[in-house]
Amino acid sequence: MIEVSHLVKSYRDLKAVNDVSFKVEKGEILGFLGPNGAGKTTTMRMITGVLPPTSGSARVAGFDVFEQPMEVKRRIGYLPETPPVYTDMTVRAFLKFVAEIKGVGRKQRESEVAKVAAQTNCDKFIHRVIGNLSKGQRQRVGLAQALLGDPEVLILDEPTVGLDPAQIIEVRELIKSLAGKHTIVLSTHILPEVVATCQRVLIISQGKVVADDTLQGLQKAHAGQATADGQIGPMPSLEEIFLKLTSA
Amino acid sequence: MRNAIAIAKKELNIYFATPIAYVMFTLFVVIGSYFFLRLLGAYEQASMMYMRFNQPDIMNRLNFQDAIFRNLFGNLGVILIFIVPFLTMRLVAEEKRQKTIELLYTTPITPSQIVWGKYLASLAILVCALALTLTYPLLVQFVAKDANGVEWRSVLLGYLGLFLMGSAFMAIGLFISSLTESQVVAALITFVVLLMTWIIGWTAQEAEGWVRDFVTYLASVSHLDSFSKGTIDLKDIVYFLSIIILGLFATNRAVESHRWS
Repeated sequence: MIEVSHLVKSYRDLKAVNDVSFKVEKGEILGFLGPNGAGKTTTMRMITGVLPPTSGSARVAGFDVFEQPMEVKRRIGYLPETPPVYTDMTVRAFLKFVAEIKGVGRKQRESEVAKVAAQTNCDKFIHRVIGNLSKGQRQRVGLAQALLGDPEVLILDEPTVGLDPAQIIEVRELIKSLAGKHTIVLSTHILPEVVATCQRVLIISQGKVVADDTLQGLQKAHAGQATADGQIGPMPSLEEIFLKLTSA
Repeated sequence: MRNAIAIAKKELNIYFATPIAYVMFTLFVVIGSYFFLRLLGAYEQASMMYMRFNQPDIMNRLNFQDAIFRNLFGNLGVILIFIVPFLTMRLVAEEKRQKTIELLYTTPITPSQIVWGKYLASLAILVCALALTLTYPLLVQFVAKDANGVEWRSVLLGYLGLFLMGSAFMAIGLFISSLTESQVVAALITFVVLLMTWIIGWTAQEAEGWVRDFVTYLASVSHLDSFSKGTIDLKDIVYFLSIIILGLFATNRAVESHRWS
C-alpha cells in the first residue's frame, strides 16, 4: 500500500532523512519509532506530499506522491505533529469544512462528521470553539479530521500526545479497530503503545532505518547470547532494543 | 470551483467569528460618515451662499455628484488603504503559522483553489464594507426628494471604481500575506505598499513630461477619480485588472513554492 524507496531529504549539509526504504502492506499497522530529530516527521511529511524529497520516491496505493499527488491525497488521512485546526472555528464547522475539501458529498457530510466525532469522542464538545479546547481535545479533533472521508491510508504523527490515560486507551482501541480496513503508519515515543497496537516496527535513527521487522522478529534477533547448554537468552523488551539501536 | 467556494466559506466563517471584520466595517463607516458629513456641510454652505448672492447660473452648476460623491469616493478610496491590510494580513500568514497549511496541502485541493477561495472571501468582505456606505447616496436621495437629485449612474460607476480599486488592494494584500508567517509584518508591508500607490501621485504634481504621465498612471487614486466623475476609461480598468491578475498569480506561486522552501 505504501512503498517508500531510497527517500532522502537534505537541508544544506544536514541529511534529515538518509536513504529510507520500507513497505507497508494493506491493512497493516506500522509503528514508526526513533529518537527526537531522527527524521520521523520529515519522512511522514514526504509520504503525504507536504514536503518534496531531495531524491527517492514514495508511492501510496500505486500512485507516486509527486507525479499524481491528487490521487494520493484522495486516499490519505494525515494527522501532523501539531493538529491542523482553525482555532477560531467550532469543531463542527471545522469538520464540515474538512469533509467538504476532502470531497465528501453534501448529503453524507453531516453523517460522516457525526460518525468520526463519535469515534474520537469529539461529540461532547462539538459546538465549542477549538481555541477554547484543551490540548487533548484538540488532538482528538485533529484525529477526527484525519479519519474524515474514510481514507485507505492513515499517517498519524504522535496521535496520543496530550491525552489522558483513559483517552490513550480509547485512541489505541480505535486505531486497532481501524486495522485491516485501513493501512496505518503510526509514529510515537510511547513504546508500550507500539507493543499494544502495531504488527510491525520500523526504527530510524539519524535519518537511517536501523530496524524493520515484526516485534517477535526483533526480539529474536536481539535475544541475549545463547548460554552454554544451548538455551536462548532472555527476550529483550522493545525499550532495550530501541535504546541499543538508537544509541549507536 | 467547488473547493474554492469551500475555502471561501471557511474564510468568511473566520472573518465573522473574530472581531476583525466588524472592527474594520465600523472604522470604515465611522471615518466615511465623518467625511460625508463634512462634504454635506460644505455643500449646504455653498448653496446658501450662492442663493444669498442670487447667482442662479452657479446654482445650476452645483450638483451632488461633483460636490459630494466625487470627493467622498476619493476619501473612501484612501480609507481602504488603511483598512485592507488588516483584512488581508491573516489570509495566508496565519495558515502558515498555525500549520493548518499542511491540512490544505494533504487534501485534494490545488494551490490555485486555495488562492481563489481566499480571494473570493476577501472580495465578499469588500462588497459588505462598500454596501454599508450606500447609506450616503440613499440618504441624499431621501432628503433631496428630487428625481434628478442623485445621479445614480455616476454613483454606481464610482462604486464600481471603488470595488475595482479595493479588489486590486486585496490582491496585493493577499500576496504579501503569502510571503510571511507574521500577520503584523504582512499588515505593515501591505500598508506601506498601498500607501505608496497613493502618495506617489503627489510627486506627479512636481514632475513634467512623460515622467508626470507615468507617475500619474502608477498612482491608484487617480484611476479611481475617473470612475467617480462618471466615466469609464479602458486604461483604468486595465490598471486595476492587471494588478489583480499579477497579485493572484504571484500568490499562487508563493503558496505553491512554500513547501519547497
